[in-house]
Amino acid sequence: MRQIKICIRMLAAACLALCLLAGCGARMKAGAEESAGDVFVFGDTTFNAENEEPDIDPHNAYSGWACIRYGVGETLFRYTDTMEIEPWLAADWEQADALTWRITLRDNITFSTGRPLDGQAVKDCLTHLIRTHDRARNDLQIDAITAEGQTVTIVTQEPRPALLHYLSDPYSCIIDMQEGVSEEGIVSGTGPYIAQTLVTNERLELVRNEAYWDGTPGFDRVTVLSITDGDTLTMALQSGEIDAAYGLPYTSYPLFQNDEYVLASAATSRTFFLHMNFQSPVMQDPAVRQAVAMGIDKERFAGELLDGNGEAASGPFPAGFALGGDAVSAKAYNPDGAARVLEAAGWVDRDGDGIREKDGRRLTVRWLTYPSRQELPLLAEAAQYTLGEIGFEVIVNATADHNSIRTDSSAWDVYASAMVTAPTGDPAYFFATHCLDGAVANNGHYHSDALEALAAELSVTFDTARRAQLAARMQQIILDDDAFVFCAHLRMTMVCRSDVTGLTAHPCDFYEITAALRPAK
Amino acid sequence: MTGSVTVRRQKVRRPRRRYKLACLLMLAAALLLALLFIERLCPYDPNAQVFAALEPPSAAHPAGTDRLGRDLLSRILIGLRTSVLSSLALVVVTAAAGSAAGVLSGYFGGLADSLLMRIADVCLAFPGLVLGLAVAALLGGGLHNAMLALAVVSWPKYARVARSQTLALLRTDHMAAARLAGGSAPQLILRHILPNCAGPLLVTAMLDIGAMMMELAGLSFLGLGAMPPTAELGSMMSGGRSLLQLYPWVVIGPGIAIFAAVAFFNLLGDAARDWLDPQNSGGK
Repeated sequence: MRQIKICIRMLAAACLALCLLAGCGARMKAGAEESAGDVFVFGDTTFNAENEEPDIDPHNAYSGWACIRYGVGETLFRYTDTMEIEPWLAADWEQADALTWRITLRDNITFSTGRPLDGQAVKDCLTHLIRTHDRARNDLQIDAITAEGQTVTIVTQEPRPALLHYLSDPYSCIIDMQEGVSEEGIVSGTGPYIAQTLVTNERLELVRNEAYWDGTPGFDRVTVLSITDGDTLTMALQSGEIDAAYGLPYTSYPLFQNDEYVLASAATSRTFFLHMNFQSPVMQDPAVRQAVAMGIDKERFAGELLDGNGEAASGPFPAGFALGGDAVSAKAYNPDGAARVLEAAGWVDRDGDGIREKDGRRLTVRWLTYPSRQELPLLAEAAQYTLGEIGFEVIVNATADHNSIRTDSSAWDVYASAMVTAPTGDPAYFFATHCLDGAVANNGHYHSDALEALAAELSVTFDTARRAQLAARMQQIILDDDAFVFCAHLRMTMVCRSDVTGLTAHPCDFYEITAALRPAK
Repeated sequence: MTGSVTVRRQKVRRPRRRYKLACLLMLAAALLLALLFIERLCPYDPNAQVFAALEPPSAAHPAGTDRLGRDLLSRILIGLRTSVLSSLALVVVTAAAGSAAGVLSGYFGGLADSLLMRIADVCLAFPGLVLGLAVAALLGGGLHNAMLALAVVSWPKYARVARSQTLALLRTDHMAAARLAGGSAPQLILRHILPNCAGPLLVTAMLDIGAMMMELAGLSFLGLGAMPPTAELGSMMSGGRSLLQLYPWVVIGPGIAIFAAVAFFNLLGDAARDWLDPQNSGGK
């Protein structure tokens, strides 16, 4: 009787094991069929509401990034690999005077709805854009748009030397406004893929645009999965659930450095930097800001902690960009110097607890950051140690709720973020969005009369050499004021299965799923 | 044969249990003593980010280094202290508060009893860790807040045990005699009830240490416990989970430490129960 019981138990265990293996086998087979066939599954950590990309409507927050990245929308102009502007949906352009730009569109392009792309369609789209999107309205400064056949004429309120750059920004994706925006946030563009279904924070389903004007898209269907956790993304790629990934933790890269995968990298202007809160009493002290700037070991962060997947930053733009790298001088890591600066300003550790005080106030810095860029908490902990060594108490708050907290100036002293500082390839963008009065991301309420004056001049200067001079001086001003501390520029890397080709990393970080993406066979 | 325990075996077992408990208590005392002076055992400053990141175990760093270039052995030792002492403090506070509530509730009865027991019912109606998560999220991150959250959800079990013991004691003859002798409420509680409740409460508390350690580590793992740069075993495991495939030592070290600590305190709790719980004396 006992032996029979043992046999039954063993049989049950064997059945269970068989079921588990069968389940795994079926899943792996399905994955293999998908990758070998015409379905491409892409995992992305940034396609979510937390990242201000809840859908693919380019007129909504930063959703234009999703629109252009996933091959739904295209802009009138685009960036080359060296970040120069070239026509895309436009065939040609001319500048009639300082305010008037005449853009001629390509023939024979249609939206995925079947509507031909003409001047009126572009006018409808841009008119809606500047009515609904604050950042675009401030950037473009459009006064009037007229359409005639395949020609669009844009008149700006004031000279806009960087207009073509702004027309290359993802928010400028040309979408069919007759079709409009669905409740889910789906739009119809001219890209190689057509969005079918969208669930915010979950997935986007795309199908091939059979009428695409610039070649035949390589996949019948594309699925974009929103996977915010880097470890989950890593395992999804390893298991074959997805074919390619954006936003993997750099510590996972060695897992994919073999024949089964291809890593596509590009130096981008995505920069880890600190915003100093000028409304915080402690940060209003120039010595404290200077000490923070001198107390962060950027070289170690970029070289050791990012394992070489970034480079130490001086200013907002990386070395590969004009005005990047050595064009400006930033304070080097100098803990002894930082300590002397604090001593001179009256910040002294009187009670021997390792934290400096002045007028009864401890030198405490509340460091706000967020975890969706996985290197930011690492930067926070690294700074917590190096600043701690010179007498700061750093309290780290790494939270997904950073967007609401950073609007409350009383809730933080230093805000660490990772932003693309030159998505348009033009230096004016960074100052306009982060440094000037009223800029949407001037979180620390920084103000400089000199910077405002130079920005005003930059906004009406067309001469490239003069623009470069102005931008270099503007960078130096914010560095000298210690209004921002630029820590590192990150290399962007996407990992793709080797049986897929055409997924290439671009310095502007906009172009991912294109018509060139196809099975390797 | 399997279900019966002979008198001879019982006699042999009690000294064995006593020795086992004594050994474990001595070990626990040694452990606590070591934890109090653990900095002297750390080869390096646990927060110093001065080494190469993610170095594998070596003679210089027996447990390797973490992502920020800190010596892991030093952090594990400090993390062990954080986890053990926090858990002990939590258990002491929770047991004291819960026992006090239970004894007072049982002794005085009435509205206070009903109110306290209904609150306890509400706390017990939710899974402990889920309620703890909610409370910790409400209070915000930090080790103290995590301890407070666990204290809020853990006191009812002590209150229940203390109350049932008190009610049982109140019906005994010696309590009646003490009352007749003119003993006041505080005297009766301190001299007669608490000493007689101590055994079951002590067993509950000792068995709770390991569980509390796991729950504190769990909250830290989820980001609601210790904040950086505090070394705590749960948060160390959480920080290293993305490195498990390529740099397993970052997780394995803290994992072994927490396993060993929890196993040790569970053994201690079992030994204490075997010794103090008379109903269990004839058990297997």
